[in-house]
Amino acid sequence: MCGIAGIYSTSLSPADREAAVARMVQSQAHRGPDDRGYYSRGELTMGMCRLAIFDPANGHQPMTTPDGRFTIVFNGAIYNHREMRAGLEAHGWAFRTQCDTEVLLAAFAQHGPECLPRLRGMFAFAVWDERERTFFAARDPLGIKPLYYARLPGAGLIFGSELSALLVSGYVSREIDPASAGEYLAWFSIPAPRTIYQGIANLPAGHCLAIDALGTLRTRAWWKMPAAVQPNRIAGNYQDFIHGLRHQLEDTIRAHRVADVPVGAFLSGGMDSTAVVALMARAGGARLKTFSLVFGEAGYSEQASARLAAQSCGTDHMEDLLTGARVAADLPQILASFDQPTGDGINTYYASQMARAGGVTVALSGLGGDELFGGYPSFRDLPRLQRFLPFWRKLPGSLRRSLVARLQGSNNTRARKLADFLSQARDLHELAALQRRVLPEAQRLALLAPDARRQANRLGPSHPMLDDFAAELAGADPFQIISGWELRTYMTDTLLRDSDVFSMAHSLELRVPFVDRVLLEWLWPQRAWFKYDPRRTKGALADATADLVPAALRNRPKQGFSLPFAQWMLGDLRPFLEETFSPGSLAACPWLDATEAANLWHRYTTQSDPRAWSRVWTVAMLVAFANRRTA
Amino acid sequence: MKSLLISPELFLNNGGIARILRLYLKSLCAHAGAGGRVDSIVLNERAGPEPRLGRYSDPHLGEHVACNRRKLTFVRQTLRLARKADRLVCGHLHHLPIAWLARRFNPRLKYALVAHGIEVWRPYSAVERLALRDAHRILCVSDYTRRQILRFCPDLLPEQLVVVPNALDPTFDADDDTRATAQPFALPRILSVGRLAAADSYKGYDTLIEALPAIRHEHPAVRLRIVGQGDDQPRLVALAAQLGVTGLIDFLGSINDEALRAEYAACDLFALPSRREGFGLVFLEAMSHGKPCIGARAGGVPEVINEEVGQLVEYGNIPELAAAVMELMRRPRDSEIVRQHAATFAFPVFSRRLAAALT
Repeated sequence: MCGIAGIYSTSLSPADREAAVARMVQSQAHRGPDDRGYYSRGELTMGMCRLAIFDPANGHQPMTTPDGRFTIVFNGAIYNHREMRAGLEAHGWAFRTQCDTEVLLAAFAQHGPECLPRLRGMFAFAVWDERERTFFAARDPLGIKPLYYARLPGAGLIFGSELSALLVSGYVSREIDPASAGEYLAWFSIPAPRTIYQGIANLPAGHCLAIDALGTLRTRAWWKMPAAVQPNRIAGNYQDFIHGLRHQLEDTIRAHRVADVPVGAFLSGGMDSTAVVALMARAGGARLKTFSLVFGEAGYSEQASARLAAQSCGTDHMEDLLTGARVAADLPQILASFDQPTGDGINTYYASQMARAGGVTVALSGLGGDELFGGYPSFRDLPRLQRFLPFWRKLPGSLRRSLVARLQGSNNTRARKLADFLSQARDLHELAALQRRVLPEAQRLALLAPDARRQANRLGPSHPMLDDFAAELAGADPFQIISGWELRTYMTDTLLRDSDVFSMAHSLELRVPFVDRVLLEWLWPQRAWFKYDPRRTKGALADATADLVPAALRNRPKQGFSLPFAQWMLGDLRPFLEETFSPGSLAACPWLDATEAANLWHRYTTQSDPRAWSRVWTVAMLVAFANRRTA
Repeated sequence: MKSLLISPELFLNNGGIARILRLYLKSLCAHAGAGGRVDSIVLNERAGPEPRLGRYSDPHLGEHVACNRRKLTFVRQTLRLARKADRLVCGHLHHLPIAWLARRFNPRLKYALVAHGIEVWRPYSAVERLALRDAHRILCVSDYTRRQILRFCPDLLPEQLVVVPNALDPTFDADDDTRATAQPFALPRILSVGRLAAADSYKGYDTLIEALPAIRHEHPAVRLRIVGQGDDQPRLVALAAQLGVTGLIDFLGSINDEALRAEYAACDLFALPSRREGFGLVFLEAMSHGKPCIGARAGGVPEVINEEVGQLVEYGNIPELAAAVMELMRRPRDSEIVRQHAATFAFPVFSRRLAAALT
């Protein structure tokens, strides 16, 4: 795991480029405390800081092929690098290290961009071809590792693993894009390719970027979701499916455990993380370290489940008590580790801190299980709504408008969300996209200042990648459509992005074995009812690990992971929020309607609606972020 | 082969659908073969001589029936002429159920739908789905339109849907543009063409106006010329006044083909950053004059504009739109390459594709 950065420009002098890249690498030092390196030639300068996981003594980057043609900077981990090594050796490659970077470099030199589908892992990398004077960069299929970029004058390009790195270069605008602020209020995060800053793009997951010798930049999707229907790959019956699933799970855990440094796991006590830990423990090796956050507030902690899981798997289990007072005290550091606002991710910040302090450099997490095995309520609710839509459309337009207006006027957020569904969704794709919106549309628009509201209205309520994802999911069944949208939107834009930012803030490599191309490609075409039973959440995962996970954990209903924010915000976090929603603080957000934002907070303090906390917190993080920038 | 073309309109206005359906008529006539015949029924036009009809047909044209907006007449005439026809080409989804009905009376009739853009990007009624499933072909102006139809009607057979991109009108002669009218000096001169209807506010004229202050910063003599009229114009005028760019914009209203050709010839680049274009015929017209184009990365536009002939921008992204204009000024596209790209959408290519798709 590392931080990478670079500038391609014909108009900047090498000295200016090198100084800027050095600043960019320095700003990402937390991503890679073990080593640094730079490469500067012709019109390109690249740099990186390394968190050494494979062959720590070697593997210095940027790494160049022996003939001097290709040079790579790479952030991530290639889990099948040992398997790929043999094939490349057959082509005449003589490896100098045991590091995955060298395998990736050789694979690119051998196959070019065609190497991408051969890779199993998480990655964002950039390669310079000195002979052809071309540049290439790519991200892994589901966006575990980030890559941001911006164009520079004269067909140049600047890129980095974090937005903050691009800002310190001094060559890109620090202006918050009002349209992005509007998107953030809609989606809890900012969907790629947009970022919070004007002119800086987020290379979407599964995409690559190339600059040819003339300076023309092209981006394209190199990976798409597997075909929805693949009759030859479907398990014949449920027992065969469970048998196959167990094999695939063991395989992904085996791949994700590979490291030359200590590996641990996050253990919340839920089915996903328990399955990961149980499969890791079964695979053997040194006694496994597991990490749980616990809370003093009743109803939030899964302490007992996590302890039972740890005991059953024989792990060295550690707990960390998280309190509102502690979050309040750490907020300056947490905010400093953001590179764009997020309404989520605090749990990952603390779990990563604990794991790093607990002596591991790599931790596995159960992220992705909900998306693959239908762990969210959306899997149950959206097909019902979809069946209702044709009847709704048959109602006279005037009646529909009147009903929507009544719902929008309601004080109940669920009613306003239903109004959004009924007025904007035409099919399951649009329902699946809209259900992830944080604020009802009317409330979101009210929170925006007139200019930002005009832009938000222009972009509309649809997800910016609606057409792309709907095309990618052509022919998919309802379960696949909802799963695909959860994977492509909330997981990629929010969960994985936050996981990268907050684990890297503590120099921890976080690995997500459920977010694995090989597992996904096997699981995707399997029958929906194999994967999902509405009466038994995560039944398939429980059955596949029945011999490893205690029955008490397999049969327990899902408890969504959430922090006790509703209480903290009226207690320990209240001073922070009072300050955040003060006129002075809101003045740093010209794209927000300050009165409406202040009212949002005021209503939260005066009305007892604990469900509203996420909306208030989402806005607070945006305001705090804007103030952090101007500080 | 006896063919029947049913259309909402052919000559009543100059909208994209009418213009492309004229080419369908021309192409059907060209491929009618010996003894073949093409009949045409138009819903919204009045009966009477139409001087332009000759340009889009040949002696294979049989009856040309104008229904003067009488829907019942349109249905009756369609059923009458379809009894003798081998194939029916339906110019708009709204009329497809009539084609389905016609097939009940003439089982050997094969019918095809021309799917243009936003009119088919939506859920369908039960009757529409029935008619779509029974269609021999669905002729999509872009792959984007094809994907949208499959999204909202997934039980169609993929081979039913064929992409037949729109074509340049061969009578819209790009060489006949030497009579430049007196126009104010501008650099760059940006041209945009389309309806200014409030219902079509997705066309993105407002984004062009909002980009003008940034463009003026680098190009003080920038000028935006907008061809077209509609009820959205007052809003756009007010927006221009609010941004202080009123003096940089010319609203030209509706103009004739000759004046339009002069505008294409005089502009430095063409821009229509619209969110919902099924294809964007105006891009082809601009490119046939060698002019680079700016469009939004949305709908069927990315199938018409590539890096060599212009720039694609995110819809509504004002800084990116302004940067695209400046980029095209800094690095102008080779007008010959632009013309060659437009030529790949020439009428003969279209006509061959259509003939192949209808077999």
